[in-house]
Amino acid sequence: MTMHRLLEDFAQENALRDVNPGVKILLGLASILLCISSPGPVTPLFIAVSLSAATVGLARIPPRFYARLLLVPASFAVMSIAVILFLTGGGAVLVSIPLPIFTLTVTTGGANLAFLLVARVLGGMCSLFFISLTTPMTDIFTIMQRLRFPTVFIDLAMLIYRFIFVVIDEAGQIYRSQRMRLGYGTFSESIRSFGMLAGALFLRTWESGEHLVRAMDARCYDGRFGLPDEAPPVSPTWALGVVLYLGLVAGISWTTATITLC
Amino acid sequence: MHIMEGFLPSPWWEIWFLLSIPFIVIGLYQINRLVKENRETLPLLAVAGAFVFVLSSLKLPSVTGSCSHPTGTGLGAILFGPFIASVLGLIVLIYQALFLAHGGLTTLGANVFSMGIAGPIVAYLIYKAGTRAGINTYVTVFFAAALADLFTYVVTSVQLALAFPGEAGFFTAFQAFAAIFAVTQVPLAVIEGAVIALVFKYIVQLKPEILTKLNLLPEATIRKLQEAAA
Repeated sequence: MTMHRLLEDFAQENALRDVNPGVKILLGLASILLCISSPGPVTPLFIAVSLSAATVGLARIPPRFYARLLLVPASFAVMSIAVILFLTGGGAVLVSIPLPIFTLTVTTGGANLAFLLVARVLGGMCSLFFISLTTPMTDIFTIMQRLRFPTVFIDLAMLIYRFIFVVIDEAGQIYRSQRMRLGYGTFSESIRSFGMLAGALFLRTWESGEHLVRAMDARCYDGRFGLPDEAPPVSPTWALGVVLYLGLVAGISWTTATITLC
Repeated sequence: MHIMEGFLPSPWWEIWFLLSIPFIVIGLYQINRLVKENRETLPLLAVAGAFVFVLSSLKLPSVTGSCSHPTGTGLGAILFGPFIASVLGLIVLIYQALFLAHGGLTTLGANVFSMGIAGPIVAYLIYKAGTRAGINTYVTVFFAAALADLFTYVVTSVQLALAFPGEAGFFTAFQAFAAIFAVTQVPLAVIEGAVIALVFKYIVQLKPEILTKLNLLPEATIRKLQEAAA
């Protein structure tokens, strides 16, 4: 059990911090939509490569960290894409693996769909990484406010955001002290220790919530938070760049729609 | 089980968004009402949300050795009811997608439906039924959390099978997805049930006023549980 370093930590210090957050979110979301609506694997792969280049090159995210990030969805991807590979039929049989009870077959239809999904997931995840590594959450709150999300939703999200960092610190401390006292030696011990960690964590964070209530009351909290709206202006270069990029991707999507793996 | 970004094709990702929206709207309405009654509620809801996020970002000691995460939403549903739990689930899932690369934005609707709505409803119903039947509180909490976890993964399998039925049709696809995920999810559900029951035990023993304030357990029951442990 190791603590992940949150993507948010990198977003706070990335080199594209001063670009208007609306433009960055638009680029990321539009790329995701182009990925999942693309009928062929070329477009998502192009998006994966170009947005990864932007994240590492322009936003200056450490390449090693970025490479490890790409492995996060791997376990889910391998399991679910394996099912699709064997279940989807159509076309000629490529591989046939006889098992005691049934035979697993891979057809061209299955291989094409599985490869398309790998490409879409890769493109989609890279677009998502672009948003989360270049746009700090505080900027996203400002956008939410401008889009008229319900106030109570934004307030709750902001409070949860604040508490996440408090709770992570607490969890790390408790975990390290348990570990030092050999709390995770055997399987049954680790269940007990983990339950103890979760219980202590819940009570401690609940108490810090009560402290916050008192602190906010003392400062005349009236049920809503103010948010400074000081997003950097949209630069013409970025606006033009994003429009051209999305146009290029749409063009690629249209011309390569029929290209498949096999 | 988070469905990753890019995995669900149109129209499925839109459908799951549409199905989730009514629950979120009711949840927001309930939160608004609670906050008007008592301003303290919002920070406390936030604490529960942050707790769910951190719990689900910790890797559990797992039998299979693969990386597995508790969902933690069962506890939210027991404490605040299924609708408010679905709002907490939505916010937590947004943070998981953005901060941890678990899940995604277009798949948010599907993930909210399985983890933030279907699971919590099961947890809530089992908790209510168990308390009414007079079953031991910890046993009830264990089953509520464990079955919520299991149901979450069943719903995820349904979502994947509907989107990718293959040639053999929905049922075969569902069985295949459910079977392959069962390897990690069944032990995980049992562990999650045990962990949430332990959390509940600590609340009862150390800070029972949380439970009486939320009208979850009458004081008599808490005293009985405390005496049984002592």
